[in-house]
Amino acid sequence: MNKIWALIKREYKETVFKKSFIFMTLLTPLLMIAMGVVPSLLMNLENEVQVKFNVIDQSGFVFPKMAAQLSDTLKNGEPKYVFNNILNSEVELEQILEEQKALIQKEEIDGLILIPADAVEKGKIELYAKNVADYSQNRTLRNTIGKIVINHRIIDSGLDPELVAKLSSPLELTTIKITKEGKEAERGFIDEYFSTFIFILILYMTLIVHGSTIMRSIIQEKSSRIIEVLLGSANPFQLMAGKIIGHGSVGLTQYVIWSAFGILMLLYGGNVMPMSAKYFSFSPSIFIYFIVFYLLGYLFYSALFSAIGSITNSDQEAQQLIFPVIMFLIVPLMMLGFMVKSPNSSIITIMSLIPFFSPIMMFGRINISNPPFIEIAGSILILIASTILVIWLVSKIFRVGILMYGKRPTFPEIIKWFSYK
Amino acid sequence: MALLEVQDICKSFGNFKAVDTVSFKVESGKIYGLLGPNGAGKTTTIRMIMNILIPDSGTISLFGEPISEKTKSKIGYLPEERGIFQKMKVRELLTFFTELHGLPLAQGKKLAGEWLEKLELSNWADKKVEELSKGMQQKLQFASTILHDPELIILDEPFSGLDPVNVNLIKNIMLEIKSSGKTIIFSTHMMEAAEKLCDDILMIQKGVKVLDGPINQIREQYGKNSLRLEYSGDVQYIQKSKAVKSIHDYSNSAEIELHEGFTPNDLLTDLLPEITIHSLLSRQSSLNEIFLQLAGGVDNE
Repeated sequence: MNKIWALIKREYKETVFKKSFIFMTLLTPLLMIAMGVVPSLLMNLENEVQVKFNVIDQSGFVFPKMAAQLSDTLKNGEPKYVFNNILNSEVELEQILEEQKALIQKEEIDGLILIPADAVEKGKIELYAKNVADYSQNRTLRNTIGKIVINHRIIDSGLDPELVAKLSSPLELTTIKITKEGKEAERGFIDEYFSTFIFILILYMTLIVHGSTIMRSIIQEKSSRIIEVLLGSANPFQLMAGKIIGHGSVGLTQYVIWSAFGILMLLYGGNVMPMSAKYFSFSPSIFIYFIVFYLLGYLFYSALFSAIGSITNSDQEAQQLIFPVIMFLIVPLMMLGFMVKSPNSSIITIMSLIPFFSPIMMFGRINISNPPFIEIAGSILILIASTILVIWLVSKIFRVGILMYGKRPTFPEIIKWFSYK
Repeated sequence: MALLEVQDICKSFGNFKAVDTVSFKVESGKIYGLLGPNGAGKTTTIRMIMNILIPDSGTISLFGEPISEKTKSKIGYLPEERGIFQKMKVRELLTFFTELHGLPLAQGKKLAGEWLEKLELSNWADKKVEELSKGMQQKLQFASTILHDPELIILDEPFSGLDPVNVNLIKNIMLEIKSSGKTIIFSTHMMEAAEKLCDDILMIQKGVKVLDGPINQIREQYGKNSLRLEYSGDVQYIQKSKAVKSIHDYSNSAEIELHEGFTPNDLLTDLLPEITIHSLLSRQSSLNEIFLQLAGGVDNE
């Protein structure tokens, strides 16, 4: 036990005081903040430019109402949209269009809106512009002119537009989540998706980062021939335990730092991230489950990564073997959308019991839908049992693998190792 | 009672028999040499003594008890493939190894300090290992295997890759350890080094024991007395001498092997009247020659 302790200490010190660790631990929360802040900053920075449209209003009733409907202003008080009616019945439409297109080319105007005389009947208008991909601008124009046209139709049919608006007002659906604690929370798909996504992303990233760190440090100790020096005083199982527990504590340290950061954000960060309180209000049980699934998932995956490290001689060689392991971690990530939509469907339920997926899947389900306790317990028990099995198998591979240099063993060879004394 | 007793150990990897029914005993307070060419099974044997590999059959007992993880702390082991944590600080590294050998931290720190003094590395205590020269790293590594004062020290190819200065340094430390009553087992393919250091030896070839025993006995039993003669004159007279069993003539010097029961004096009596003798040197055959003589036979089978 003292030997494992000495190994854990060494491993922990070496990793935690490494520059890359400090960098990553501090950078990740900053990145998260940036992800929250930058979009709203960008929104505020939206182009403060007046947009000029020329309008050919053949219907005759749309143009006069446009300026009133689209009264957005810039910060300096100028109207954002400027419309000019250039309808001239004496000139052929084709000719006007040519002239206007030339103006657009020269960027004297931003666009041309053509409202045909039969717009009310056919419901079609045209926009000529250099940039037709500005989704929000297109929508604004369509909605504005659409409203004018619809109003016109309603009046034409002899009804009162206000009455129609009143009668056809849409229904609003408010979704309220019932949690275990009986609390009610107003949450929707996007909220669920994001809060679950952030947790799962952290799980996924830390599992991969710490797992592959273990793998790389085994490969490195193998190639620098340190392993056998250590075997002079400790046995392979102690070495493996030292590595796995050492790096696992590094991961927990990282979580503690990040949680501290998160709590600070919640307390004082309201101004920077107004949305944070909404996304990060979790019950403490979620955090407990998070740590449980991190620890179990970490043990499971780091054992797999150690096995890969022990049978390979270089990072490049390991790369090929990591791929299937990482696939197992990516699958739950890809299924996240489906999981949020139907967290209790049979496929998600089954996957949340399979040890390869359960750390992420079951945790995701707990976060979304409070699955029956029996399923949570089952998932955890299966994960514990298979982790023990995997560690036992891996320790057999590890024992032989760390002393093998040169050619990478084939799969049948590895199977044979299990029978070695 | 023997310190280490190895009884009929075998180890195969797949179809390859690395060690085949090898037995030997190591007496306490001796330097024991494990000799043989590369691939003879020396490292596999040592790894089995270290409980790193487990024999397919046979038993190994150390200090009268079967080897286990517990006995490891009484051994200092320097593997053939050497490595050292490059990113650790020198003092931390030594302290880490004392801890790994199961010593309490306070005692470990004290020992680390003492060894830094002994190795003249005190000025480097807070530098990273990678900043040391190759020679200093070798010393450091050597220290890390013996600083917990083990009863038995096992060195796998301790001289490989060392320059003569460091070879000497390690040799001196080995002799020092021996004089303090500790036991050393070391493997090497360099017979000359073994010849000078070992009390007892085991020679193995292709996993099979060729011979073992005290080095003096082996020399007496298998060594031939050969003479090197420098002369001027007719080689015929040498060939004619009754004392001569065989001769390799190099025209003004010759390697001569005598028949049993004859002494160099008998040869001289025959030669003195006939040829001029510049020098006559009597030498025992080297371990290398004995090994080639015995292992060569194994090879031809």
